[in-house]
Formats: sequence, structure tokens, C-alpha cells
Amino acid sequence: MTLRIHKDKLLPWAFLALPLTMYLIWVIIPVLQSLLFSLTYRDTIMYGQKFIGLANFVRLFQDPQFHLALWNNFIWLVFFVGIPIPLGLGIAMLFNQEYAGARLYKTLFYVPMTLSFAVIGTIWAWIYHPDFGALNTILRAAHLDSWAKQWLGDKRYMTMALVFVGVWRQVPYVMILYLAVLKNVPEELVEAATVDGANWGQRFRHVIIPMLAPATVVAVTISIIDSLRSFDIVYVMTNTKARAAEVLASYMYSSAFHYQDYGYGSAIAVIQFLITFGFIVVYVSNTLKNELQR
Amino acid sequence: MKKYLAVIAACSIAATAFASGSNELVINSYMSDQAPKETFQKLVDDFQKKNPDIKVTVNTTAHEQFKTLLPSWLTSKQAPDVVTWFAGYRMQAFAEKGLLEPINDVFPGGSFEAEFPPAFKTASSYNGNIYFMPQSWYWWAVYYNKDVFARLNLSIPKTADEFMAVCDKLKAAGIAPIAIGAKDTWTAGGWFDYMDSAVNGGEFHVKLTKGEVPYTDPAVKKTFGYIAEMAKRGYFMPNAASYSWQEAANVLFRGEAGMYLMGQFIKDVAPADVKDKIDFFRFPSFGRSDYAVDTPTDGFMIPKNAKNKEAAKKFMAYLATAEAQEMFCKPLGRLAANKKVPVPNADAQRGLDMVLGAKTAMQFYDRDAPEEMAAKGMNAIVDIIANPGQLDSILTALDKERVRIYSK
Repeated sequence: MTLRIHKDKLLPWAFLALPLTMYLIWVIIPVLQSLLFSLTYRDTIMYGQKFIGLANFVRLFQDPQFHLALWNNFIWLVFFVGIPIPLGLGIAMLFNQEYAGARLYKTLFYVPMTLSFAVIGTIWAWIYHPDFGALNTILRAAHLDSWAKQWLGDKRYMTMALVFVGVWRQVPYVMILYLAVLKNVPEELVEAATVDGANWGQRFRHVIIPMLAPATVVAVTISIIDSLRSFDIVYVMTNTKARAAEVLASYMYSSAFHYQDYGYGSAIAVIQFLITFGFIVVYVSNTLKNELQR
Repeated sequence: MKKYLAVIAACSIAATAFASGSNELVINSYMSDQAPKETFQKLVDDFQKKNPDIKVTVNTTAHEQFKTLLPSWLTSKQAPDVVTWFAGYRMQAFAEKGLLEPINDVFPGGSFEAEFPPAFKTASSYNGNIYFMPQSWYWWAVYYNKDVFARLNLSIPKTADEFMAVCDKLKAAGIAPIAIGAKDTWTAGGWFDYMDSAVNGGEFHVKLTKGEVPYTDPAVKKTFGYIAEMAKRGYFMPNAASYSWQEAANVLFRGEAGMYLMGQFIKDVAPADVKDKIDFFRFPSFGRSDYAVDTPTDGFMIPKNAKNKEAAKKFMAYLATAEAQEMFCKPLGRLAANKKVPVPNADAQRGLDMVLGAKTAMQFYDRDAPEEMAAKGMNAIVDIIANPGQLDSILTALDKERVRIYSK
């Protein structure tokens, strides 16, 4: 009997051993190493380690470029949560009905999702080109010459131009997420509400929205995390030279790999990790609570 | 199980034997533009023919990426055997960290001095050892479109006033006076080198790149003041920050811009029918009788961790010969580091005369200053060109970076 209990307890660990070891090697240990690096002087790799305590973090909080990166990440976050979620839901509602061509439209909307950020970034860099780009060509044709800007060269517009591209790719993702759940909203519930005299707005507000709550939590969390790791678009479209569009990830990259200041780069990574980790904790505890309630 | 192990063991022994027997030479090169890439390949083929026992592999990486990747190659245990690089400070920074192999034995008994002018020895050495094999060098100057100048009846400007007058006339004719591909921020670095040495002298500028002068110094402000003034008057082509250096060169080739401060390699990317329409003149004087020039020197070095140093040194010795240097420099119109190589053409002769008449020869802003400083500095110049009104605040922020970077 005792042996049996013993076996029951050991078996899951036996199955988990391999993935946990891999997780340890490729995630946990590197994270701890970055933490260690962040407390060292630059050129850790070339000169060997030299601990300088929290000096990198002190420098971070006085560094205007870091403040800018943080602010830009905040803009990414606000627009990544603020636009794709309502817009994705709206489009999903439209596509949740049967009509001719619905499938085709759905596919068209989904196409951006199938492209990598490198491809999207290259395409949009050309669309934004001030002299030959599609955007300015259209604006000029519409006699809106003063609206035609140097989208990726002028620091006033750079971040918004990049955020737009990110949002453009995020909307179909959220749409698919909602469509999957909408398919599972029971017809009877909506019909019952109709019989009770609820109008369209009330049905949407009191029946559909609550049914979509779990999907919304996923969509919000993933959008937040995606906005925090925005790097690909910034890197591809500005070649990391445009400091005005800097985000945490790109600043970390250029600090560590362009200037070989691995300590400072690690310090930025630690800050980014803490922010992301905060959101993940909220998400996981939320999910666990729901799971346990069931 | 034993059987499998035996097979694996046999395979790995075979693989090792194969690797050591193959005598491979790995070269990592940044020559990614078509003309230099093809020319370098010819040299490699020639070397290969003379050394059939060595198997040469050339890995070409685009210039900007190469600069980012090189430190990781040099520190890696799998380092390439030979890498392309720049003479002077940027090479010495690696030598100081012990990442390079001294190549004194490639030049036995003072043969370095027999092949190269004395100035190259300083730029190729660190602490008395030679680490760098100079191959070619070139000059920076104001390149201009001859057709445009002829059509508008413009003559070569020699002074600041004449230069501004030419800019005004070009602008009045609807042509962008100055092309600049500021998406590659180093194009702005040339403006800084030439303007600062024209205003304050080459020696002052060298001190500045060594971090000894604040960017907020009134003399430096005067330099940037000229650049800001030119930006305010609209002399730089519009939307410059959206163009790479090659794209901006095309604007010059098409005659939509009049001038372009650029290195001689601009000819590498000029189409055949345009090559002769592009010529250069010396950066105008801004009140001084002496002048300075950018003369970046390119060449090769061997990483400390190189696997096949013997073959690498053989290749270096080959590249140093007058014959090999001429093979590289003649088609590209560059100047060979080897003094026995004749000047390839009349253009190069003019370039050489310009360099010989200069009081100071610089490598280039991003080769004379630490990489991080140069990157921040070049960003600041691009920023000033786009927002000349913010000159003071941009320089104040830049000087904070200088204090931090040089205090390390």
C-alpha cells in the first residue's frame, strides 16, 4: 500500500523530469545569469566579471534614452490593448453570421497573421517611404500633401507608424480568438434572452460579453505581452538606428550587442522581465482560479 | 547498444581525420557590394590556385551586420581564420583585449617597412606588435554631378561662401544641393569630420575624437552651427533619414542632387554610364589655410582563436604582395597600401595628391572614436540636420554621453 502511494507520487515527476530539466537549462538558468550580468561592469564577456552592485540600474533611471524606450513601450501597450481587442471583436461578430463570401473575407483578414514580422516590416517600410511609398502617393493624389510625412524618418511619427503596423497584424489574431469562442455561444441562450424581450444591445452586453470573458482575458494578456516584446518591427523597419522609436527590447539589443555593454543590456532585460512577469503572474493566477472553480 | 557506440565513435574519428586533413581556411568578409566582392573573389581564386592544398571558404556578411557580429566571432572558440577590418583605433581596441594574433612573422626582418609607408605601421600596430595587414585605402571628398554643374554653369567652390552660393543656385534650380543617405548614420559622420577640421583644424578634431574636448565647447558648437544653418536653408536633400547611402547616391547619379560628401567607394555603386559623370573636389575651406582628409584604411587581421593560423598567415603574406594589392586596387580605383603598386588612374592620383597636401589624415569618425561614442555622435548629427533648432539641447545630451563613455 505504501509503495503504491509512493509510485503515484513519483510517476508524474518521472514524466516531468525531462521537460523540467530543459526548462531549467534554457529558461531559468539564463534568467538568473542575466540577473547576475546586470550587476557587472560592461564587457563582461571579454574582460571577465567585475561586480558593480546596482550601478547599472542607477544609470538606467537617469538615462533619457531608457525613459524614452519605456514611454514608447507604454504607447505600444496602450494601442495594442486599446485597438485590436474591440476591433477584433467587432470583426468577429460580423463574421459570425452566415452570408455569401464570409469565408473569403475571413481569410483576407487573416492573411497578415501568416506573414512573419520581417516580411511585414519590409513591406511597410516601403509603404511608408516618403517619396515612393504607397501611403504618401495616395495622400498626394487626394491633395492632402501636408499630411504626407516622413513616417520613419521623423521622430514625431516614428513610433506611431510602427505601432500601426503591429496593430494591423494583431487585429486578425484577436479576431480568430473571438470567432472560436463565439461559435460556442449556445444559440438557446441568445434566443432565451430575445424571448425575454432583450434588444440587440442588451443581448450583446449581458449574454455575449460574459460568455466571451475567458477569451478576453487571453486576448488582453497576450496583447500586453506582445506589446512588451515588440522588437522585430522596430528592428526591421528602423534598423535600430532610429533612437526615437526605441523600445526596451531594441535598447537592450543595441546596448549589449552593438556596444558590448552586456551588463547594461542585462539590466534593461531585467526591468523588462519584471514588467512582463508582473502581467504573467496576474494572468496565471486568474487562470488557476478559474480552473479550480470548475 | 555497443554496436551503435562503435559506429558513432568510428564516424567521429573519421570526421576529425577529414577535418584536419582538409586544411581549411575560413575568411569572414564585409565586402558585400558587388564590385569589391567580385574583385576579392578573384584574389581568393588566385591564392587557391597557388595553394591547392588549402581549401578556402569566404563568408560574406553585409557591412553593418559584420560590425555587430565581429566581437562575437573574435571571442568565440570557433573563430574564423582571417577577418576584414579597419586600421587604427578600431583594430587596436581588439588587440588591447588580446583577441588578435600578432603577425610580425608574416613580415620577417623589417619587410613591413619595405612594403608599406611608415604611417601604416602605426595604424597597423599595438604595443610594438603588428596585428593588421593594410590592403587598400581611399579618400573622402565632395562628389558632384558634372552634368548638373555644367548645365547650371557652376564652378568648383573653394571657400565656404562659394560653397553656399553653389548650394543656393542648385536649390533655385529645383535640385537638392546635397545628397545624404542619413538612414545610414555614418554618412553624417563624414560631415562632422570635414566640417570640424575645416573650421577648427585637424588636430583639434583628433583631440575631440579621443574624448578630450566637450561637445559643448564653443568651437564644436561653431562647427555644428554651420551644419544646422545649412539644414535650415534646406541644402540637404528632403527626407534624407529615409534613404540608405546607396539610395542617396542614386539621387546624385540621376542629377536630382548636386553634391554628395562620400568616400571613393561611391564609384563602386555607380552604373557604368554614370561613372564618368561623377567627379570630386576637396571639401571647401572654412577660413583655414590647412586642411584634413578622411583616409580610411581597410585590411585584414587574424583572430587569436583562429583554427588554421598557418594558412591564415600564408594568405596574409600573399595579400601583402604588390601583385595582389594591385589586383584588388586597380579595378576598384582605390589606393594600395603597398607602396610599390602604381597609382591606378588619374582620379586616384588626384586623390593621393589631395591626401599628401593635407596637414592631418584621419581614419573616419566611427573608426577614430569608440564605437558607442561615434554611434551616439552620428545620431546627434542626423538629428541636427532634421531639427536644426534643437542644436543646443542635442549637444548637451551628447556631451553627457561623452563623459560617461570615456570615463570607462
